[in-house]
Amino acid sequence: MAAIALTDTGGKLRRTYIPMLDDMLGGGMPAGASLLFTAMPGVASDVFGYQIIAERMRCDKGTGFIYTNTKTPVEIEHAFQRYGWDLRSFLDSDQGFFIDSISPMMGMPAIGRYVVDDFAESEATVKNAISDIAGGTAVIENIATLLDSIGFDQTLGLIGRLNEEARANDVNMIYMFTRWNYKNVLLERLSDIVDCEVKLFSVEEKVIYRQVFAVTKSNWTETPRTNKIFFEVLEPGGVRVFIPKLLVTGPYNAGKTAFTHAIAADTVSVDRQSYELFPTTVGLDIGHLDYKGFSADVFGTPGQERFDLLLEPLAREAIGAFIVVDSTKPDTFVRAKEMIRMCRTEAIPKVIVANKQDLSGALSPEAIKEKMSLWEDVPIIPVSVVNKEGLNKALDTLFGLMYGV
Amino acid sequence: MIPKIRSGIAEFDELTGGLPENTMTLIYGPPKTGKSIFCYQFLCQAMEDDDLCMYLMTDYDLTQLEQQMMAFDWFIHDYILNKRLYVIDTASGSVGALQKETDNMAISFPQNPTDIASKVIQQLQCVHQKAQRFRSVLDSATTLFAFNSPILIIRVLKAYTLRIKMAGGTGIVTYTEGSAEPQIETMLKATADNIVYLGEDELVIEAMAGLKRTKASYQITDKGIVMW
Repeated sequence: MAAIALTDTGGKLRRTYIPMLDDMLGGGMPAGASLLFTAMPGVASDVFGYQIIAERMRCDKGTGFIYTNTKTPVEIEHAFQRYGWDLRSFLDSDQGFFIDSISPMMGMPAIGRYVVDDFAESEATVKNAISDIAGGTAVIENIATLLDSIGFDQTLGLIGRLNEEARANDVNMIYMFTRWNYKNVLLERLSDIVDCEVKLFSVEEKVIYRQVFAVTKSNWTETPRTNKIFFEVLEPGGVRVFIPKLLVTGPYNAGKTAFTHAIAADTVSVDRQSYELFPTTVGLDIGHLDYKGFSADVFGTPGQERFDLLLEPLAREAIGAFIVVDSTKPDTFVRAKEMIRMCRTEAIPKVIVANKQDLSGALSPEAIKEKMSLWEDVPIIPVSVVNKEGLNKALDTLFGLMYGV
Repeated sequence: MIPKIRSGIAEFDELTGGLPENTMTLIYGPPKTGKSIFCYQFLCQAMEDDDLCMYLMTDYDLTQLEQQMMAFDWFIHDYILNKRLYVIDTASGSVGALQKETDNMAISFPQNPTDIASKVIQQLQCVHQKAQRFRSVLDSATTLFAFNSPILIIRVLKAYTLRIKMAGGTGIVTYTEGSAEPQIETMLKATADNIVYLGEDELVIEAMAGLKRTKASYQITDKGIVMW
């Protein structure tokens, strides 16, 4: 089976209308290409397929269908309504239709141009539907149900043949797949038979609190440098990009601004040269960081107590924090703990950046841990910002806590 | 010493010391032996201990739960109003009734485990912000097996159990014996930490950390499950 290449379609790509995804895919999908959304259980996934078909019908006047074995057509229509997309008028005008493979099993009257009573018999029906919508979009929901109903080999064979039919008809296949505990070898085989795979997962500590999508395979573009995008799902609105925020805080003169500049090259600082020997932050530091495929805004707080009123708003919605301390000044550690509390960072992943390790008298991470006596096990990373030492270790540790990578 | 929580059935707790905290317990047996009543008592205890409870119901809606519990003089109305009870109702979903969803009242569909999982996660986020420990009930897995490929539901229950335990929950799942193949029942038992069998007139603790297989007689009375 030949992979879809951009040259096959003369370079013309069709948008997915998922923010950032089109940029990551070089503009969209070639005609006839297939896209697999692999979602960790619990992450919003159906909205991706719905958004593609809804926006294509609305903006491109495209045609399409939804094959469903998990939600009844009525439920899907309600879901579209919640996201703010009008499915009804597309159904009425025959621009879109359902293949209903769920109502018969639920003992309900089937709705849709096609009805499938038995998963194993669905191939001919879906192929017919594909030829009905030449140049259009097909959403198949959900692969997990097929895998566990008709078997792995049968499902993979079916997808392969549907992809061929779709290629002949310039149809984009959009597969929705909830990744329960399937073996890796199956996941790899599934990934092999599609042109593009987008994984949906979450960044979490004990419970999911941010959702991420990532392009993990594309036959027509290079994998982009920043390929992991935080998203949220709005009702109405659908998939929206969320730029995560990292916080840099800590006591006065611990080196927060220098640290922020070191990890985020284009940082802008609101500071002033005071009567003292060094400039001090009186507003904030803002920078942008691209690291290991993730992109994040970095917010540095001032350290002086008279600016404490800025801490809470700066910290709001941060998903990870660096607490910078001066390793030679144990008397400031109490203040560091106070700032952890004021920034409400108790509940988010954080690391303590034990800065100024280049100076004599700098305490070791163990000594700092003992003196700070934190209520939980926060990693303490020895860093010398001036010598650019320990920066990657600090980043790796925080990203490790946030993403489990 | 394993930390335990009270089940809501006094004699059960005397016998076992309570349910081990942060574990999942499977309650199974033939139809009509009191598995749901076990859930109600577990919920009553949550109320008494001021624990939050996340309740996934597949065969009745919230109003019916309230009514069924009222028959035993157990009143959960204030507990609901105070948002201590988090409900995922797939019973209303299955008949196509579309109720309004709120923070602590979600509607899902028995044939759509993907949606159930996402509702569970949404509620866990709310629950976790309020408490580090809580209780969970899934009554009953039988309905999920009926609407889906059984092996898929084993995967779903594994993911569910993992999530509940990660977030600090102690849970029970019910299942009607014989509604899936023996092989699936074996897999189902493997997803739970503790296994309690509710037979026609005997209650058997088949598996529980630090406890030998234990039997007791029981009866359903107007005070719920009573054991001796």
